[in-house]
Amino acid sequence: MKCEKSYEHLIHKYLDGDTSSEERKRLEAHLNECPHCLGHVRELKKAIAFVQSASHIEAPANFTNQVMANLPQKKSTSKTKSKWKR
Amino acid sequence: MEAIVKRIILEVKNGDEQAFAELVELYKDKVYQVAYRMVGNAHEAQDVAQEAFLRAYTNLDSFDSNRKFSTWIFRIATNVAIDRLRKKKPDFHLQDQVKGSENLTYESQLAADQALPEDQIVTMEMQEWVQDEINQLPVKYRTAIILKYIEDLSLKEISDILDLPISTVKTRIHRGREALRKRMRHL
Repeated sequence: MKCEKSYEHLIHKYLDGDTSSEERKRLEAHLNECPHCLGHVRELKKAIAFVQSASHIEAPANFTNQVMANLPQKKSTSKTKSKWKR
Repeated sequence: MEAIVKRIILEVKNGDEQAFAELVELYKDKVYQVAYRMVGNAHEAQDVAQEAFLRAYTNLDSFDSNRKFSTWIFRIATNVAIDRLRKKKPDFHLQDQVKGSENLTYESQLAADQALPEDQIVTMEMQEWVQDEINQLPVKYRTAIILKYIEDLSLKEISDILDLPISTVKTRIHRGREALRKRMRHL
């Protein structure tokens, strides 16, 4: 538990794919002997996997028609531009 | 993709309103998805996504077509969603005392939601649960986590969408990940 804070930054750097090979080796060596940090990494990876498991949702079937039905008045000339542009 | 988008935008700018439907078709699922994950329900997600496209249409002249349209529409959509969430803030606090009661707060009336009992989790739709956990995140972290892990965008793109330095985006993702870890670790 003691070392968790000092390694936390490195763990996140590792999850972002930003670690140098030297840093990665250092982290891996530490994880081999520190069950707390290893647990921390596993919990983070699990949380990410849960979020990534959220299935992709699609817009409702009538979506495009609804947007098109609500479009503001079409501009005819550049003179009228300021009227409808907000 | 970008060439098609450029062509469509030019058509719309030249007055072909119907060409905008093509643009909506191309991006509706991505925009709706971000909206849904941000606000947490289908009804409001539709409102937010629709509003985002209407704002894009109205402001199309200000869109720099050398940039990615997806970045721009995501920026509009996240802003609309954040505005919506701000307005929705509850007008009472969980620590307020329940009217006509002594020492009874709304908080004490709620079942402990920190760690749901195991059997409840099993019966709860997994999807619903993940969405619920995402909605528990502070909006700043929620937005970054959604763009990173659900939309699968690069840190550079997220930084463009949110108009924040990459270092800030990273910090938000780190904090979001830690918050999710703390809530999800017992499963």
